[in-house]
Amino acid sequence: MNSKINPIFFVACQQCDALYDKPQLKQGQLAKCNRCGSTLIERKVDSIERSFNWSLAGLMLMLPAILLPIMGVTLAGQFHQASLFDCILVLIDRGFFMIACLVFLFAIAVPIVRLAGALYISYSFKFNKLKPSLLNFFRAYHYLDNWAMLNVFMLGIVVSMYKLIDDTELSVNLGLFAFVFWLICSTMSAAALDQDYIWDKLERAFPRSCANEHC
Amino acid sequence: MNTAKSKGLSLCPKCHKLNSLTTEPQQCRRCHGLFYQRKRNSLQYTLAWNVAALIAFIPANLYPIMIVYQLGIPSDATILSGIGEFIDHGLYPIAIIIFTASIIVPLIKIIGLFVLVYKAHTGIRLKPNKHSKIYHILEFLGPWSMLDVFVVALMVTVVELGFVTSVAAGPAINYFTITVIFTMFAANSFDPRLLWDKKADKKTTEQALLPSDKLLENLLGTLPEEKGQK
Repeated sequence: MNSKINPIFFVACQQCDALYDKPQLKQGQLAKCNRCGSTLIERKVDSIERSFNWSLAGLMLMLPAILLPIMGVTLAGQFHQASLFDCILVLIDRGFFMIACLVFLFAIAVPIVRLAGALYISYSFKFNKLKPSLLNFFRAYHYLDNWAMLNVFMLGIVVSMYKLIDDTELSVNLGLFAFVFWLICSTMSAAALDQDYIWDKLERAFPRSCANEHC
Repeated sequence: MNTAKSKGLSLCPKCHKLNSLTTEPQQCRRCHGLFYQRKRNSLQYTLAWNVAALIAFIPANLYPIMIVYQLGIPSDATILSGIGEFIDHGLYPIAIIIFTASIIVPLIKIIGLFVLVYKAHTGIRLKPNKHSKIYHILEFLGPWSMLDVFVVALMVTVVELGFVTSVAAGPAINYFTITVIFTMFAANSFDPRLLWDKKADKKTTEQALLPSDKLLENLLGTLPEEKGQK
């Protein structure tokens, strides 16, 4: 019916479906929806470069953040310290499988997968090694958007330190710093990734092979 | 205001590419994923996850969330009694943070989504501008209620000094995580575009009604005069 409208020249708001002419943006500019105020398109500055570096740094910090002890407790002459990895082992040991799973998923697995994904995508853009499988890969990458909870875990660490500081002698370890930097790296690498730019380039590199007659 | 829906277009939720809608589900021209113009059965899914979250929230508050063993004597604390303890000890900031994260946020999310579903379904006093902002706040708040779970997990690991003091997680923690995850699913399955659709629908029906009413009044007003003139 409305087949005369070419969808290439338009852009729709993700939140309220308002239709606009596609704006031509320079790096660092963003277009906002008039009706609901959410961002339509954003061109980020040096997106690929920045996200490559942040995610590489994040992956390097990953091991110290997970394995080094985050905090130690001295109570009644006994000293005990725990890292993120210990945390999961202890939880499994004592039979709290569900929390162990959750901590593993939201504070370890999802952030690592996201970092690795961001690294892979920015790597293949940086060195111009585009593959058709990237389409599926990047689409799958978006499924994890909501489920990285490093920042919540960080607040959890702060709260539990506050809890313990009264009754016990608390010592902060290197793991905490590694964890903070890991959190910063993973947030920055996700924030630096310019989705519109990446999709645009992927579309141009792999124009759709017409699977059905409608396109 | 033109919407993509009114022009027969639809937006891919994953790669944000506009496609002309030919079949449902449509395959995206860019990322080759299948999608629908609006999230399918969005309101029903939201409502269902929401009810499930509300049901799970009841045992989450009744059962103890953390059991502290001191010299082998257990003392258990529910979410609320834990907060009460903080207030007794004078740790007000922590009490406020925990209270917000584990009681207020889940409740606000559940109630807010119920209200949004109701508004999107009936269209009564619907202000899409305001309500879509509320939705974004709810979506943002989602993961933060996991705070209590992480705190308990850390306490269990760190405070493990054998017989002297140790901490165990209570059964409430499972129900609480279920609540949080279900509210996140509920928020994910809600489609804010339905709010705008409903408003636009209402406007067009009102506009369709109004001119005809005015026409009728005009007709009724003018007819007798014309008769008199004749």
